[in-house]
Amino acid sequence: MDVATESAMTEIQPARLSQPATFMKRIVLSYRWLALIIILVIWQAVTILVDIGLLPSPGQVILAGWGLLTSGLFFKELAASLVRILLGFGTAMVVGLIVGVSMGSRRFWDEFFEIPVIVGLSLPGLIYAMMAVMILGLGLTTPVIAILLAAYPFVAVNIREGVKATDKELVDMARVYLVDRWRMITKVILPGLLPFIMAAIRVGFTIAWKVAVLTEVFGASTGIGYQLRYNFQLFSMRTMIAWALLFGAVMLVIEYGLLAPAEKYFARWRPKVKEII
Amino acid sequence: MTTIAVSVRDLVKSFGDEGGEHRVLDGITFDVEEGTLTTIVGPSGCGKSTLLNVLAGLESYTAGSVEVRSGEGTAADLGYVFQNPRLLPWLTIKDNIMFVRPQNVAETTHRQRMQHYLDMVGLNGIGHKYPYQLSGGMQQRAGLARGLSVEPAVLLMDEPFSHLDEITAEQMRAELLRIWQETGRTIIFITHDMQEAIQLGDRLLMLGYEGKIVEDIPINLPRPREFTDQSFVDFYADVVSRFHKLQAARAEELAEVEVN
Repeated sequence: MDVATESAMTEIQPARLSQPATFMKRIVLSYRWLALIIILVIWQAVTILVDIGLLPSPGQVILAGWGLLTSGLFFKELAASLVRILLGFGTAMVVGLIVGVSMGSRRFWDEFFEIPVIVGLSLPGLIYAMMAVMILGLGLTTPVIAILLAAYPFVAVNIREGVKATDKELVDMARVYLVDRWRMITKVILPGLLPFIMAAIRVGFTIAWKVAVLTEVFGASTGIGYQLRYNFQLFSMRTMIAWALLFGAVMLVIEYGLLAPAEKYFARWRPKVKEII
Repeated sequence: MTTIAVSVRDLVKSFGDEGGEHRVLDGITFDVEEGTLTTIVGPSGCGKSTLLNVLAGLESYTAGSVEVRSGEGTAADLGYVFQNPRLLPWLTIKDNIMFVRPQNVAETTHRQRMQHYLDMVGLNGIGHKYPYQLSGGMQQRAGLARGLSVEPAVLLMDEPFSHLDEITAEQMRAELLRIWQETGRTIIFITHDMQEAIQLGDRLLMLGYEGKIVEDIPINLPRPREFTDQSFVDFYADVVSRFHKLQAARAEELAEVEVN
């Protein structure tokens, strides 16, 4: 018996401990870049092995991108696009919040907005972009309206879910202690809604920049979308890819510099979750 | 002279429409004297929590009257300690207690009270932590400190220790009794645990399935009460046998109804 137990014994290793690295350090040293490197290697290999003629090598694209950066053209066009994106995104957030809160809290509004929101969710942003250009022309209202129509349903459904998920037990607790309306909203409702607002911001922003670029392709003489169309007409693949990649880089900066830290800050009261699967 | 802190008269609470009315509470009448600890015991689903929620103003009632004495000066009318502690997870323990500051209490006053009651429940130095960082027992202590911090005329407690392990629960009961004696608060304590009800209460109200108070028993056992004391054992046996008799009588009644 004793012998049997002994042979069956295995030393228990502690479960993997979470790395105590700082946030920035974890981004710089993480595996995220690995995917990027692999893509670059494959890309380079394809341009060497298969002579398609059209596909520029990574080196050519980096060179083109460097040119865009040093000439200042990239920043000028980025600024033009960002103005449209932020204005449209802001409007979509405001409208989406109002619609979402109404839908989440009142049955009348829930049913009233149901069909517009479902249809809005399913229509591609391209339709809004084309229609806005046709109806509104080339002004600033075009991208703003297109983004608003394309993005607000996504914001609204997220917020609606958040309002419906409000913890009634906590609301009752606050009511027993006769907490005033202001404290109820700022300390009970909003903090519970925050993860849903963050999700809405993410999806809203993604749609905003996609639709903004689309409207620029059809109806603008500035911005990244315009540059894409311009280089498309010149048949300059390397510049097009350079624009696209630089734009992607800006999105990464926004994600890691703004959204991820904000999410981390708002989740400070939650227990840290380790890798489960 | 004794003062009445809670007065309930012919309280009826029913659900459903004319067709299928279901009375959860059916003619509940009782008074609670100031400074006493009343335990309300009953099986699950007998309407204990509904009764407490009516007292707390969280649920409406169909008929009768419910009066809770107003707190004097800066004291609140009610404090409530919930079964699930219901702490705001995004606020620290201190902020959770500051959150319930009554409108007529100055912030500095409430801060002093918060410190005082955190000390009393043994959470000194824990105030900066978030709820998830505390054990279930400590969260419940925080809930108790929050309830005490408003210095309520009546403190309602809804099975606050039922989610805790027995060792922690036993400790919490002893502490609750100490705090009750220290503060002289009027406490209404709901539980499904007959032993807990007898150990804590001055008086035991037994709620039956039909939403009525079926027994109202003063508990004059000397304190501290141990489960193993002969007087406790005898008292417990007596209460349980009374409850069983009631159950049997009810079963007979139901059987008769069925026959007819």
